[in-house]
Amino acid sequence: MDRKTKIWTIILAGVALLGILGWLALENLGGGTVAVITVDGEEYDRIDLSKVTESYDIQIDTQYGHNTVHVEPGRISVTEADCPDGICVAQGAIDKGGVPIVCMPHRLVVKIEGGDIDA
Amino acid sequence: MPKTRKLALMALLTAIALTIFMIESQLPPPVPIPGVKLGLANIITLVTMLLLGRKEAGAVLTVRVIMGAMFSGSMASLLYSAAGGALAYAVMCLTVGLFQEKQLWIVSALAGIAHNAGQLLACVLIVETPGVLAYGPVLAASGVISGCFTGFAAMYLIRALKKMRP
Repeated sequence: MDRKTKIWTIILAGVALLGILGWLALENLGGGTVAVITVDGEEYDRIDLSKVTESYDIQIDTQYGHNTVHVEPGRISVTEADCPDGICVAQGAIDKGGVPIVCMPHRLVVKIEGGDIDA
Repeated sequence: MPKTRKLALMALLTAIALTIFMIESQLPPPVPIPGVKLGLANIITLVTMLLLGRKEAGAVLTVRVIMGAMFSGSMASLLYSAAGGALAYAVMCLTVGLFQEKQLWIVSALAGIAHNAGQLLACVLIVETPGVLAYGPVLAASGVISGCFTGFAAMYLIRALKKMRP
């Protein structure tokens, strides 16, 4: 292996390693109990998960498609979607603010934030 | 290479790229993280760039991205693929001359990072939520890994194709 290849191998391996470590750190980071659902940048709903006592579903139907958001005490997930890949469903539930659930084809984001709910 | 032959070859490469793209889109995602995929159709973009040239690779890529979105029925994802594809193509064009053929996997890894960066940027603009930037690190890693993979695949394919050529 020549010098140039070696240097690039180290750089690229570094990017991959740091990326994965960063991801693992982000996943476990962030507080907050308020789940914010946005569609196409517009706020759709805002739920304080710490005040949820019984699980329920929210049906979201927009021009982009259908998603079912499942609200549980302390956590939130997307349980149904009619998008082709279904990645948002596979992402499972989130209970921390680090990484939001994203359904890219439906422009849907479920994110956990800190702070209170404005009425 | 005669013009007609080149045109036929480009059409063939586009068809192969589309087939690979369609098959990959039917497979379940490798990990449940939006934007992470193997991007196997990129092998054809690289092969086209090395065998025919930058312009030809751009043409094959453009047709594949548009027809791919049409065939897979997800016009919604066209914007993401177009943004990712355009940035990856730009990086490929800029870096392909800087490396030898046996270092093609480096070009591909850089293009992989660029693809995911473009896609993430498009996503930030579309959903208007900066929070999705949290996917930056994992998408950078995914770009390197899948880019290396497709880069090596393209390298071996080019080697085999050059042996076959009269």
